[in-house]
Amino acid sequence: MDKDFKDRIEQIVGPENFSDSLIDLIAYAKDASEYRHRPDAAVWPVTREQVSALLKLANQEKSPIVPRGAGTSLAGLAVPQRGGLVMDMGRMDKILEINIEDRLVVVQPGVVYADLDRKLSPEGFFFPPDPASGSVCTLGGNVATNAGGIKGAKYGTTKDYVLALEVVLADGTVMRTGSRCMKTSSGYDMTKLFVGSEGTLGIITEITLKINPKPPLLSTAMAMFDDLEDAGRAVSQIMHSGILPCALEIVDQQTLKAINQNTTLNLPEVEAILVAETDGYTREETEYQINKVVEIFQRNRASMVRRADDRQEAEALWTARKTAYGVMARINNNLFVEDLAVPMSKVPEMLRAISDLAKKYDLVIPTVGHAGDGNLHPVVSFDGTQPDQVHRVEEASAELFEKVIELGGTLTGEHGIGMAKARFMGMEHDLKSMEYMRGIKRLFDPNNILNPGKMDLEAA
Amino acid sequence: METNYGFAEKFRDQVLRCSSCGFCRAVCPVFGITKRPALNARGKMLVLKEIMDGNIPLSDDLIDTLFQCTTCASCAKNCPSGVNVPEIIKSVRKDMVQAGTCHPAFVGMNQVLQASPNIYGEEGPPDFGRERNRKAENVFFVGCVGSYREEEATEETLTLLDRLQVDYTLIDEACCSGVLEDLGYAIPENHVQTNVDRILATGCKTVITGCPYCFRTFNERPQYQSLKDQGVEVVHISQFLSGFDFGVKTDQKVTYHDPCDLGRHAGIYEEPRKTIQQITPNFVELPNNRVNALCCGAGGGVRGAYPAHSIAMARRRLEEVEAVGADVLLTECNSCVHNLSNAKLRAQKFKIYTTTQFINRLLEEA
Repeated sequence: MDKDFKDRIEQIVGPENFSDSLIDLIAYAKDASEYRHRPDAAVWPVTREQVSALLKLANQEKSPIVPRGAGTSLAGLAVPQRGGLVMDMGRMDKILEINIEDRLVVVQPGVVYADLDRKLSPEGFFFPPDPASGSVCTLGGNVATNAGGIKGAKYGTTKDYVLALEVVLADGTVMRTGSRCMKTSSGYDMTKLFVGSEGTLGIITEITLKINPKPPLLSTAMAMFDDLEDAGRAVSQIMHSGILPCALEIVDQQTLKAINQNTTLNLPEVEAILVAETDGYTREETEYQINKVVEIFQRNRASMVRRADDRQEAEALWTARKTAYGVMARINNNLFVEDLAVPMSKVPEMLRAISDLAKKYDLVIPTVGHAGDGNLHPVVSFDGTQPDQVHRVEEASAELFEKVIELGGTLTGEHGIGMAKARFMGMEHDLKSMEYMRGIKRLFDPNNILNPGKMDLEAA
Repeated sequence: METNYGFAEKFRDQVLRCSSCGFCRAVCPVFGITKRPALNARGKMLVLKEIMDGNIPLSDDLIDTLFQCTTCASCAKNCPSGVNVPEIIKSVRKDMVQAGTCHPAFVGMNQVLQASPNIYGEEGPPDFGRERNRKAENVFFVGCVGSYREEEATEETLTLLDRLQVDYTLIDEACCSGVLEDLGYAIPENHVQTNVDRILATGCKTVITGCPYCFRTFNERPQYQSLKDQGVEVVHISQFLSGFDFGVKTDQKVTYHDPCDLGRHAGIYEEPRKTIQQITPNFVELPNNRVNALCCGAGGGVRGAYPAHSIAMARRRLEEVEAVGADVLLTECNSCVHNLSNAKLRAQKFKIYTTTQFINRLLEEA
């Protein structure tokens, strides 16, 4: 990137919102994945007009431009693989409107998920996806990734809440999609096209989200299963029983072993633990639901079932699930938090396959997941300084996704494709589908400046 | 390229263990006001990885991130990977100083402390009208900020100790100098010797510090081990006064700011609260309290080197005080009082005191 180009960028946003300092280039070279590539410069736009002017300029110069939220992507979505300009949306962080009457909010992309939640909570409302990185991730990033979380089975993911967007296109034009209505069948769904587009089609500058009333009460139960198949059957039965738990999480035996080896928690090393939570407006309502769940746990030979009488006890039941990430993050230098989803009935088979892969490649792969929607997170912990280990991780990963597709699953439930899974896209999507995806990319971004190198959108 | 730095030798595993999850964004006070990821713990660890990989040298280019950390430890307390960022930062600053690169403000601070016994390079310590260096049960160690910037708070604290008939003496202090180690320099031996000799000469059993940072330096740094060896206990004034019956009450709405050095670093959360709740039924917590308390922005040399950011951090904390509608903000650290008072806007009507200063005022009014 030449000096003149940098000067023009700086003129658009002002010196306080531009940097090509070494420390910024290093910080923007990486997200929460293992990929690393430095950009040439970084900007923090504060208005839609600046975003537009920057895109117009980058398009003229045919220079890559990579929008970025909190950089919590686990799949390399925010890594500027081809250099260019990183556009950090973090300073466009205003909540523009909270409209309870119309059940919606209008926000800028840099608003942090938890900040919106803090504003909505007193109103008795929430934006449900609840990603694990909610304390830091931004809503723009949520939309661009189609982020999910533990409430997916009952409340869906980000795409179920995006009503309208303001997007700046590659040539700098501003486009508005969608409407403020709860329903619309007006034309192609341009809004959803941008949800999960990973910054490859345009840059989101304003988001209109549907919000939900938040049931204030929760009931929690936990069950241990000596046999994984019993746990799997219990999940299926719960999900077609008519009860929709707001969380139904699974923790596998490998995770329990890892936790025990690294903490003093001394958890029973059963084949699976399930934790379920039900929500509602009266205690009777949440208890009725959790009773049904507990019945199903028992009917499926749970070796132990526990109920929480208060929040403190509930926290105790969540211990295994909530300790898992911290333990895994501490036991080795590198961490792949994988993400896949399979039809719910295939969860036990998928877990068995992961366990077999771990043995085959001599790796430790504990798995936790959102059992209620078939979304699993095998967590591969390894030492990135050992080339042999890295190689085994890559091999195992390829075989893992072959199995996922064989079971009718999908490459990603909620983390996106980015760099990590670009090479697997052809396994899930047929030739025609890939051709149309690439066609859409060319239509919106003929010069391929927007987050290039992601989602396998370039191959012939 | 040189990769064999002291920080790498000591903390290599921890730096590598940072998984770049970015959760430090939620709590880093410097990031909070700048929204610049290069300045939070993840940004710092990425820089250190590049140094360890031999991709970049230690240079002036890195000063703005490696010397811009209040060492508040919020990141360390919230890190899923258990990375102890403040210790790593202190360690790499040593390497930076050795490599001849350091923030000019800290070069200056080191020069001042080589020549002067206090960090402001000011003439002789105020004696607060009290006898110094006498035999006593306790030494009250004021610290630099309490001596030269928040004299009023110190004066009132001493008056409170007088009222309570505590047998204490002041000494001719030298700066505890812990801050120099945090900035990559060594603690001057002469200052340690001055403090240790003068403390021991009083025959005291206890040193009561007005400053949480002096408290930590005396208790944690091996240079001051001889105090422990001689059976001298070092406590912070909030510990010393916890449980005293002051016989005075107020109905003002009072809130409390946990200083990082007393709270997150030393785990002292309850003693100050016990004291405050004894004097007011109208105590309210700030939204972020105890281990989650927001930093006032003064620590780690940031007030001296990055004053605008330091004040901006303090303003964020004061917004919380406004939000809970408190009449009085109490804290246990003169440095916090100093920075928060400097940042307070005229429209913000609440008062800021150290707990001891406030109690003394109540007793005066009673």
